[in-house]
Amino acid sequence: MNRKYFLSSILGIGTTVSTLGVSRRKALPELSGASSELPLITPAYLQAGDTIGITCPAGAITLKEIEPAMQLIQSWGFRIKVGETVGKKDFTFGGTDAERAADMQQMMDDPSLKAILCARGGYGSVHIIDRLDLAGLTRHPKWVIGFSDITVILCHLHRNLNMAAIHSKMCNSFPDDWSKAEPIQAESILSIRQALAGEKMQYSIPRDDKNRTGIGEGPLVGGNLKTIETLSGTRSDIDTTGKILFVEDTGEYLYSIDRMFWNLERTGKLSGLKGLVVGGFKTKPDDPGDDFGRTLYDIVLDRVKGYTYPVCFGFPVGHQKNNFALKNGMSHRLTVDGQKATLEEIM
Amino acid sequence: MTKLPPYLRPGDTIGIVCPAGYMPLEKAQTCIQTLQEWGYRVRIGNTLGGDSPNYFSGTDEQRLADLQTMLDAEDVQAILCGRGGYGLTRIIDRIDFSTFKKQPKWIIGYSDITVLHAHIHKNYKTATLHSPMASAFNDEGYRSEYVESLWQALEGKKARYECPVHPYDKKGTAIGELVGGNLSLLAHMIGTDSDMKTKGKILFLEDVGEYLYNIDRMFYQLKRSGKLDKLAGLIIGGFTDTKDTTRPYGSGAYEIIRDVVQEYDYPVCFGFPVSHEKENYALKVGVGHKLKVGKHKVTLEE
Repeated sequence: MNRKYFLSSILGIGTTVSTLGVSRRKALPELSGASSELPLITPAYLQAGDTIGITCPAGAITLKEIEPAMQLIQSWGFRIKVGETVGKKDFTFGGTDAERAADMQQMMDDPSLKAILCARGGYGSVHIIDRLDLAGLTRHPKWVIGFSDITVILCHLHRNLNMAAIHSKMCNSFPDDWSKAEPIQAESILSIRQALAGEKMQYSIPRDDKNRTGIGEGPLVGGNLKTIETLSGTRSDIDTTGKILFVEDTGEYLYSIDRMFWNLERTGKLSGLKGLVVGGFKTKPDDPGDDFGRTLYDIVLDRVKGYTYPVCFGFPVGHQKNNFALKNGMSHRLTVDGQKATLEEIM
Repeated sequence: MTKLPPYLRPGDTIGIVCPAGYMPLEKAQTCIQTLQEWGYRVRIGNTLGGDSPNYFSGTDEQRLADLQTMLDAEDVQAILCGRGGYGLTRIIDRIDFSTFKKQPKWIIGYSDITVLHAHIHKNYKTATLHSPMASAFNDEGYRSEYVESLWQALEGKKARYECPVHPYDKKGTAIGELVGGNLSLLAHMIGTDSDMKTKGKILFLEDVGEYLYNIDRMFYQLKRSGKLDKLAGLIIGGFTDTKDTTRPYGSGAYEIIRDVVQEYDYPVCFGFPVSHEKENYALKVGVGHKLKVGKHKVTLEE
């Protein structure tokens, strides 16, 4: 599948605070406040000379492995503060739970940082999320950047603070040699810079025959589907009512993806959507003799057939080269028509 | 109080259905013969065997219709699920339990059948049987104490199981309703209409073929959604055929679980014979039990 994307952006404005949406869902457990009842917090966009912290809330990474990312980000005019967890290793984790929580806490509290880039995903954010005190982040809002396992943090910030964050590639996806990066990879990474600089994100992709046309507007929320499922019932569970949901996943069996879409349905996450954006789904082949007999299209369309909102497939977000930066929590418009699907930041 | 379906008497009928994955009829032959030797009649549902070309034992409509027929049939006293796999989630919200509510019957199975256990416990407060299914009877399995424990349960014999202690056990005695099943399914149902409450109960968990990090993640979900903090006791069954990532996770399933439940002071036992292996005692979900985790042995009794 060789799809062509075109990417355009409009220069945006600085920090905005607005109230969006109304919560209709009551099933969420004791919470400090449902996201949609809180005013949206948009951290200040970055200026040349601002500092971005790099930390490992989940998997381990070495300093050497993040050097290409550091160099490129510095070439954009930003400074880097390397967290204590870079280079730490506790088996798969980037340090012990206590070390990872402390590093993230320190960065959230640090008024001199304007963004926190998670070095990589893997697994582990859920171990530290309840240890984090968000008060410092509320006082000094900053962009938290990452995807995959970092979906835990993005959802948690959306649910508890209604703070926007950036869903994008992380340090481990930056090419060792920027000059040799494939155009699509380079574009994906440059979209992080555009997001941080306050440009309004706008992505258009060619039509997919299975798309459902329509227009929907609402805050954009989402991330890794399996991670969203495992947040159900917790303090990080997201309310999707009135929102545009995007999902992606990798390495799952089709039956498991089907079960996850049923989970979305049965936890009330599909019924009140304004739009559904289906990103990359790299599936694990069915075991011999266990043909699931349904495609990803079948799975998704079957679950949304009772609703009328627009649905687009093949959006460039996921565990793949074309994984463009998305501003989680910010208002977007999804327009799906006979020619293309466009997701654009509004307001 | 949990409602108890009537226990079975000789001549009663057990219906066999496959509400999830496909199972060829021949794989259920030993099970059918054994049930008949136990003195029961067997009714074979349309979803056991059949001509389904894919993973499922039939379309959603076919699986739903077969299960619904057995639930509503006055002359069927128990429903044994032939196998698990995946599929109950797709039909659970369409099952009509109105006849079952008036005339409850034993629903038997595990793994994907956990969806039925949880859904019925949550919504209808009726006991179900977490137990071996049809393929467990094969390869001499029908002679095993685990398959026989299903017979004893159906006959109304009160369960009393023992197993050896494990170094990670937390000693103590707990009394409460027994609930549980497959960890992946229980986690998957959190936040849905089938989500079971665990407060004051004895929870049992087992799983198969999961990545270690995913077992950890699911335990964190149970913990963070409040499923673990007010238990009376916890029974950890088999966590078999676990998988690891290229970068090793660094601890095994039981170490993961030990760490997650470290802060609680209720009794916990590890290695209880409830699993995807042959060690799989019939457990009455929703029924009051006493769990004793001692110095020399673990006992679970109704």
